[in-house]
Amino acid sequence: MANDPGLERVQRWMQTCILNPGTSEEAIVSEGAQAEITAEVARHLVLPSKTLSALERLDIYRNMYRPRMEEALAIDYPALKRFLGTEDFMQLVERYVAVYPSRSYTLNRLGDHLPEFLTTVNDLPNKDFCVDLARLEYALTMVFDANETSLLSPDAVRSVPQEAWETARLKSIEAFRLLAFDYPVSLYVGAVDGENRFPRMARKKSWVVAYRRNYQVHRMDLTEPAYELLSALASGRTIGDAISTVLMRKWRPAVKHAQLFEWFRDWMAEGFFQSVELADAKSIGAQ
Amino acid sequence: MGNRWGYPDLGFGIGLRSVHFDYILKNNPEIDWFEVLSENYLDTGGRPLHVLDQVSERYPVVLHGVSLSVGGTDLVNFEYLKKLKALAKRTKAHWISDHLCWTGVTGLNTHDLLPMPYTDQALRHTIERVQIVQDFLERPIALENASTYLEFAASTWPESEFLASLAEQAGCGILLDVNNVYVSSFNHGFDPQEYIDRIPRDRVVQIHLAGHTNKGTHILDTHNDYVIDTVWKLYRYAHRRLGGTATLLEWDANIPEFDVVHGEALKARKLREQEDSRSAMPLQNEVAAYGQ
Repeated sequence: MANDPGLERVQRWMQTCILNPGTSEEAIVSEGAQAEITAEVARHLVLPSKTLSALERLDIYRNMYRPRMEEALAIDYPALKRFLGTEDFMQLVERYVAVYPSRSYTLNRLGDHLPEFLTTVNDLPNKDFCVDLARLEYALTMVFDANETSLLSPDAVRSVPQEAWETARLKSIEAFRLLAFDYPVSLYVGAVDGENRFPRMARKKSWVVAYRRNYQVHRMDLTEPAYELLSALASGRTIGDAISTVLMRKWRPAVKHAQLFEWFRDWMAEGFFQSVELADAKSIGAQ
Repeated sequence: MGNRWGYPDLGFGIGLRSVHFDYILKNNPEIDWFEVLSENYLDTGGRPLHVLDQVSERYPVVLHGVSLSVGGTDLVNFEYLKKLKALAKRTKAHWISDHLCWTGVTGLNTHDLLPMPYTDQALRHTIERVQIVQDFLERPIALENASTYLEFAASTWPESEFLASLAEQAGCGILLDVNNVYVSSFNHGFDPQEYIDRIPRDRVVQIHLAGHTNKGTHILDTHNDYVIDTVWKLYRYAHRRLGGTATLLEWDANIPEFDVVHGEALKARKLREQEDSRSAMPLQNEVAAYGQ
């Protein structure tokens, strides 16, 4: 009977070889692989076929690993891939999965650490732009997968007593993310999707809300005061408090009361909120 | 004939894929059933789950997973099983299947269907894991023969006998992937008919068919093309051995329009009908017909 190192060692060895970015020869002589099975034993662990050597057969699995990771990340980060180009994106993926290999039963979670990882990649060209772009694409992914929540209906809004609005709180839907950027990355994502022209790469602050309506993911560009107001509301501040905070600051151009009304009208229409929480703990619009 | 659990012959289905969502919801195509990739729906509350809810209201559904890692040596992931069980209940899935393989160890997942060494130790280990999984899910699962690209020198069992023994001793079903039998037979040089002969017919609850990529020196199970004629012939052979079994066409890359994928699945129906009409034909003649 051939040498059998046992199931656990064989699996740890094979995984170590698959994750090793070098050649199969480099993989089997690596410290990690030899900690499980010595290279001498490993050379006889896999049978050759009529057409392939043992290491060539191992390479079939090794060669499929990184493209599979790249494919998964490209689904979640298509604009980042477009920006970096196929080759640089692949190189980035290799570095990323070396630090953050998949630990989940689903590849949908593989990219969860990519924005954070990019902040540590010092030789990445246009790093700050890439970080912003990845943050936005990650938010869009989270919005896509968030639980569906019921929407605040116009009837529910009408049922709130006039005097209760100031101390009431608006609860946002789960598929809702607010983001502030140093670059116009929402325009870049829009350009990749064919919605608009590619923006200039110059630094320019931008504010975006990512949300889902009728199971479709959307982005809405915001002005800074609108972003501040939505952030205050989303953080659980009362409507009166949130509005006061925004109105007290000096904006150019100044925020007018009529504009506040338009914002609330648009946000309600887009379905940003699921309920109104009244000061007496009563919730209107929630199911 | 039929499997011992009475899992029904659902007919001829295809894998539910997001590129077909709109078509299915709009057209309500006449298709017998859908197979659903479990992991795509475990962690989302968005459109995929919304579509799946509608599909499972209209059609019979079966769950097919790729991350059970039933041959793996990490601890069983009960969080995963809990979600899988909930999804099966939500979709009223007729059965749950995964693969005879491992996908990762030390907490990692390579998201590949990695080959097992077919040893007594691996068999005992996998039997125990299958029983743990089935106890938790409160139902027998079906395990698929994966396409493999290497063999371990330590193996003392042919894969078909390992799978048959596993099914008998663990009390689980078999999802016989006819294309995978062909792919592995090409890669390892065994007789695909003998492989099917060794599979206990009362354990088989489902059959898979798919296209693949022949690289010359080996074949990759890529699910990116039509089923080749040799695999169709092997399917006919399997049908004669196993009888009416729920059959599923997989197409996962370069996915064409719904009707093309469904049309490929319906070829299986036609072949089965031809076989059934020739049921008086001695099996030996059909064995000879395979491979012509």
